[in-house]
Amino acid sequence: MKHFLLKIEPVIWLLFGQGLLIGTMLLTGWILIVGLAMPLGLVPVEALSFDRAHALGASLIGRLVLAALIVLPLWKGAHHMRHLSIDFRGADRDVVVAPILYAIALAGSIAGILAVIRL
Amino acid sequence: MAGPSHPDAMAPSRPGPTRTAPPQMPASWWSAPRIRTYLLFDATGLVYLLLGFVALEVVWALGAGPEAWDAMLASLRNPLVVAFHALGLASVIFVGVRFFSFFPKAQPPRIGPMKPPPAPVILGGLYVAWIGLTVLFAAILAGGIF
Repeated sequence: MKHFLLKIEPVIWLLFGQGLLIGTMLLTGWILIVGLAMPLGLVPVEALSFDRAHALGASLIGRLVLAALIVLPLWKGAHHMRHLSIDFRGADRDVVVAPILYAIALAGSIAGILAVIRL
Repeated sequence: MAGPSHPDAMAPSRPGPTRTAPPQMPASWWSAPRIRTYLLFDATGLVYLLLGFVALEVVWALGAGPEAWDAMLASLRNPLVVAFHALGLASVIFVGVRFFSFFPKAQPPRIGPMKPPPAPVILGGLYVAWIGLTVLFAAILAGGIF
């Protein structure tokens, strides 16, 4: 498992890095509107009505943006939590913790891609 | 977190002639300011993981039809969810500011025949991209454009 984790490290790091870069850039606007402004009533109701939201999300660019918004933060999160676990004296349990975290991120990524396809 | 650290944490590559005590971590290792910021940066991983799954739920509901979408909008108005998103915004800004500050330091000495641009140019470009993308994405979501 240790060998396998080292082998997939470049792929994990690519997804982790893009989670930091693209994930952060996309999440900022997403949280501002969908997470805060809409619930607080600062956005017109029609802006996120089903018809408009679906038309935006189901376009090609919309699907790509939503897929990146779901998938990339998952890998940033899983990889950072793995390192937090290692920092708190978890070097020995890493062979168990890392596969669990990456499996969660992988499952979420597959579900995210399915969610975007079925729009 | 007092107690022995990982036994190999400070081990020399070859055992020397002098017997050494096993390394000890100070009880307050995590409270040193630089380490605290570093651990906080790692800890935002949990927030990102949850934000990813919330986004997944939202998009899944959008694909499930108008009723599921309206139920999703209602659950986003739950005060606990709003509080989580406030924490999420703080985390995202913290991560952006810290991560982008690494970029100038992480440049190679030269890129092909060229030298990398000076730090203020790299940082400026990143902030313009971040703020620009945020304004554009927020304007689209809020119904300002398209």
